[in-house]
Formats: sequence, structure tokens, C-alpha cells
Amino acid sequence: MRRLAMRLSVLSAAIGCLALLSCGGRHEKTTPEIVARGVATLPGDPEDRIWEKAPVHVATLLLQDMVEPRLLEASTTHVRIQALADGSRLAIRMSWDDSTRSDLLAPGKFGDACAVQFPVEGGADLPAPQMGEEGRPVEIAFWSAAWQALVDGRPRDIHAIYPGAKVDHYPYEAGSLEPGSSEQTAMESRYAPARAVGNPVAGPHDRPVQDLLAAGPGTLTPAERTLSDGKGRFASASWVVLVSRPLPATLAHTGRAQAAFAVWEGGNREAGARKMRTGWIPISLEEGR
Amino acid sequence: MALVHNWQLDRAMSYWYPESRPKKQFAAVFDTNKCIACQTCTLACKTTWTSGQGQEYMLWNNVESKPYGFYPLGWDVQLLERLGGQSWSGRHYEGRTIFEAAGAGERVLGWRPDELDYAYPNVGEDDSAGAELQTGAFMELPHTKWFFYLARICNHCTYPACLASCPRSSIYKRQEDGVVLIDQSRCRGYQECVRACPYKKTFFNPMTSTSEKCIGCFPKIEMGQQPQCFVNCIGKIRHVGWISRPEDARPDNPVDYLVHIRKVALPLYPQWGLEPNVYYIPPVHVPRSFLRMMFGPGVDHAIESYRKAPDDPDLVGLLSLFGSSPQIVPRWKRLGDSVIGLTEAGAEILRVPMKEPVHIRKAFDLAAGVTRTNTP
Ligand code: SF4
Ligand code: SF4
Ligand code: SF4
Repeated sequence: MRRLAMRLSVLSAAIGCLALLSCGGRHEKTTPEIVARGVATLPGDPEDRIWEKAPVHVATLLLQDMVEPRLLEASTTHVRIQALADGSRLAIRMSWDDSTRSDLLAPGKFGDACAVQFPVEGGADLPAPQMGEEGRPVEIAFWSAAWQALVDGRPRDIHAIYPGAKVDHYPYEAGSLEPGSSEQTAMESRYAPARAVGNPVAGPHDRPVQDLLAAGPGTLTPAERTLSDGKGRFASASWVVLVSRPLPATLAHTGRAQAAFAVWEGGNREAGARKMRTGWIPISLEEGR
Repeated sequence: MALVHNWQLDRAMSYWYPESRPKKQFAAVFDTNKCIACQTCTLACKTTWTSGQGQEYMLWNNVESKPYGFYPLGWDVQLLERLGGQSWSGRHYEGRTIFEAAGAGERVLGWRPDELDYAYPNVGEDDSAGAELQTGAFMELPHTKWFFYLARICNHCTYPACLASCPRSSIYKRQEDGVVLIDQSRCRGYQECVRACPYKKTFFNPMTSTSEKCIGCFPKIEMGQQPQCFVNCIGKIRHVGWISRPEDARPDNPVDYLVHIRKVALPLYPQWGLEPNVYYIPPVHVPRSFLRMMFGPGVDHAIESYRKAPDDPDLVGLLSLFGSSPQIVPRWKRLGDSVIGLTEAGAEILRVPMKEPVHIRKAFDLAAGVTRTNTP
């Protein structure tokens, strides 16, 4: 009896392994670096069938354990990276396993997110992969599950976060203010300080991605304009996220560049410096087939 | 980490940034013995600053009944437990601060409240401690049951944990008044400050995804006015001003006089190491061991001095200045039975009699033809 139980458990372990290998239902070849395949038209969706033809690079994620506050226990272990390029833009598809979908930001609640980073200047002498360094900036496209939910139609309303909330009255609902008038909008924004001062994280969000610049940990600054866009989907305990951005200059000119990635697991209360990340990974352009 | 001096601990301690004291430091004295928990202060702040969407459960000012009231739930006991028992030797703190006790990979020893910890702003209200009150409670003397009201705002700490914890340096301390602010254009809502502030006075706004905190009513301070929660205080328990370093204390500065010279007002949980700048006159009727945990080793001296205030014209005089003017009163003096509030330059702002004159009025008002009721 005991022997039978042991055999069964060995068998189930083997099945488990198989499932892991055929992650996503495909047995794919992993490339040693990221190869961006040239295409005529970039897909706008991470689930477009064109991605089936794109080579896959599986990157191992490392702990952000260089600067405080650090992440001391590993959460997300790998991120699968694919890339496609047309003449002017680069589309990157990131996917990773996540047992908990976290797309609501609230006290003590954090959102899933990912980011892709390139050095601003090309060349062999690369800045530190952790947010670059002084005088050697990096550019980052950051995707947020919470912004994706808003773009996908979650109302910008406290009841979308707390459906049972009972609110008597907000000052901007005073009878003396005409609904939708500029006075009312101004009043509403006075009570949303981050929005009033134009902080992009405060919304409204027209896309789930934000372009940022950094020159060392703690220096993240919004780019003048966000030129990137993206789309994320959560299904079968994993995120699949597409981020498309202008083709990095070095990649366009030399056909080669370096990229680094980060993943935040909201369910593990990761945000900011508490994240899983990669070092620099070479990325090259491949002519279309 | 840098080495800085914390006078409340009577020693140097480590802090994330080097010592940099502002030109002036916002400070306040709250007399807990006079607070009636009317929450007018809470409402004054809320209607002024936090009545927008996403700020519903944000209480920059709150008043809780100690020992069972907390906002958010368990804010102080959670941290005390994590820090563990620590000790004082006289006025010298021998234990570890939350900066010194920070775990690997952390800047500060903190804890993160759960969402639901913010759902009970009046938990424990008016619940007594000191005896089991299940059956047959009756009046005993001395009275063994106790609770007291603790009014709380941000302490605009000299060594803010919120500021130290922010990996993006989005929090800053103003040089001109020591007020600690979160830059709303820079904050990205990582909530590190919510985890780090031991007083839990930074709050996450789920509608803007940034953290917000008490701003010390700085637009009023800049106009020489006392903050909203001060001028609206029904119990007149609050006085705002500027605190000097102990070696520069001036007897004509009300805050210096109460904190440094007479030592009747004490910091809240000084052992955590932030040099908080709201000072409390401790409640006289609460077990001393509990008060020493909250306000440090100066409790006995503070209570003894306060109890003797009726025979202490300077102390009683200064206490009657509390809540007497909408203006900030940075200097004071006593002249006989009057106490005078002065500007920095010495100009008189107000004069308060230490004893209210007694007027005896006839029960029947002949002129109006009515019987007077006993309305003061
Ligand atoms: S009380 Fe908290 S929020 Fe206020 S300055 Fe101190 S650490 Fe910061
Ligand atoms: S000082 Fe001003 S902002 Fe701070 S709690 Fe009081 S009323 Fe609110
Ligand atoms: S207004 Fe004054 S008396 Fe009333 S609860 Fe606040 S601090 Fe206490």
C-alpha cells in the first residue's frame, strides 16, 4: 500500500514537471538573448497569433537587494520575453506566472506591474542595470495592472474600490456648483492634490504605460511625454503584457542593444524598490522572414 | 546611516540622513487633561483638507481613547511589540530606536496596517481600563478605572521616519518651519512612508495613488495663524509655536517654557527616536507605568508640576493662554494676574486675565422683564 502511494506521488510529481515545461501549451526554444523579429505591422495585442512565431527568451529574475528598501525573498522567478519590431517601433511581450491578480491600489494593497529599460546612450560601456547612474540615464516604460483596469473601464470612483461605501456628500457636489462646470471640476481637483498638481500617477489614465527616465535609484522622473503604449491580459494564473515603444536609437542604428526588465508582484506587496529584476540582456534585430 | 543627536533620548543615534535642523521648528503642546474628545479638531481638519474622494478614511487629526482606542487599529502596540522591551536610565535612553532596530534591507523598523485597520476610527472609545467592569460596577475611591483622550496630528518630527523611508525622496522637511510634507507631484504611492511612520500619520489615497499627510496647515502658519485643529479646539487644549534646542531654550517662548524649562510637556513615544514635536501634558489620573511607556521618563516630574499649577502663577498663566487667539503666539509674559501673548518682536497680541472677574446678576432682569437662567 505504502509502495503504491509512493509510486503515485512520483507519478504526480512527474506530471507536474511536464506541465511546467509546456508552460502556455507550447514547447518553445529559448534563445540565449532577445531577438526582435522584423515584421511589417506590429500587433496591438499580447494575444495576437503573430507572437507564436516570435523567439522566446526566458529571463531569470533577481532580487532587488542592492538598495534599501530591498526585497529579501524571491517571488516571481522568470519572465518570458519576446520582441517584434517594425521600422520605427519595438513591441515587447512579457509574460510571467502569478497566482494572484492584483490590480487595485488601496491602503496595504499593491498592483502587479512590469517595466522594460534601455540605456539612453548606446555603446559597450553600460550604466548600472539598476535604474542607471548619474550622468548615464536609462529610459523606462512602466506598465501597471491598476492602470490597465482603469483603461479597460473600471470607473474612477471610490465605489469601484469599496462597493459598499456610503458617502453623504463631497464638497464639489454642493448644490451651488453646476455639475460638470469648470468651477465644479476645479473644486474636485482641489480635493485630489496629486491630480491638481498634475502628477501622472494620479490619472486620468489614457493608457496603462508610462515613460520614465532615471539616473540612479530614487531618481525616477516622468518623461516629457509618454510615447509608449501597451496592453496586459491576465489569464490562467499568468500575466501577458505587451509594451510597445519607439525603437531605441542604438537598436535602430546598430541592430543591437541591451535591455533590462522588472516585475512587481502586487500580492506580495511589491512596489518601487521592492521588485524582481534582471541584469542587462542583449537584444538584437532580426530581419523578417 | 548618519549619526545625529536626539535630545529627547539624551544621546546620539543613527538616522538615514545627516542632522539638518530647520531654521524654525513647528511644535505644539497638547494638555490631555483638558480634552473632551468632542472631535471638533478632527472635523475642522477633515472639512478643510480631506473631504475629497479617496480621503474618506484619512484622519490627519484624530482623537482616540487610550488604552483601547487606536487609529489605525493597534498602531502603537503593533510597533511596541515588534520593537520589544527597551529601557531608560534616567533621561538617557538605553534601548534601540526604530532606525537602529531596522531589519535587513529596511531603513526603518515599521509595520504595514491592513486595509481593514482603517475601518474603525472610534474603536475603544470611552472604554475604561483598570478593572473588570462586567458586573456590579460601583463608585470606589480612589477611582481605579481610567481612560484618557489622546489627540493626535503629525508630529512634524525632527527625524521623520516617513521622510527616511521614501526611496524617491518625495518627502521633505521645510527649512523655514520644520513642517514635513509629501511632494504630491513626486510621490508614486509606494506606501513606504505608511509602513514607516510609527504614528501612522501618512495615509494612502486610493483615488490618486499617492500618500498624503497633515500639512501643519502651512498656508495658515505662513500667515501667522494657528492651524485649523488648534483654533477650533473646544477644550482649548492646544498651543502651537516654535521649539528651540534645549540649550537655546527661552523662558519667554511658551513651548520652550513648557517643554524645556518646566518639563511639563512630553513627547509621544520618544523611544522610537523621531524627536516628535507635539508635546503632551500627561493625564494626571492614569497609571504611571502606562504613561512612562507612552511619554518617557519625565512623566512623574511633569504630573507633579502640573498638579501644583494652582500655586504656580507662571504655569497657570501660560496654560490660560491656550486657545485664546487665532494668531500664533510665539512669546509671552505674566504681569500680575494677567498673561500677555506677544509677537516675536514683543508687540502685544492679547491679554488674558488669569482669574475671570465674577459678576453677580440679579435673578430677575428688570430692564428686560425676564427671569435669568443660569447661562454663563
Ligand atoms: S509623525 Fe509620521 S508622518 Fe509625521 S513627520 Fe513624523 S514620521 Fe512623518
Ligand atoms: S495642523 Fe492642519 S493639516 Fe494638520 S491635523 Fe491640524 S488641521 Fe489638519
Ligand atoms: S477639539 Fe480639542 S477638546 Fe475637542 S477632541 Fe479635539 S483636542 Fe479634544
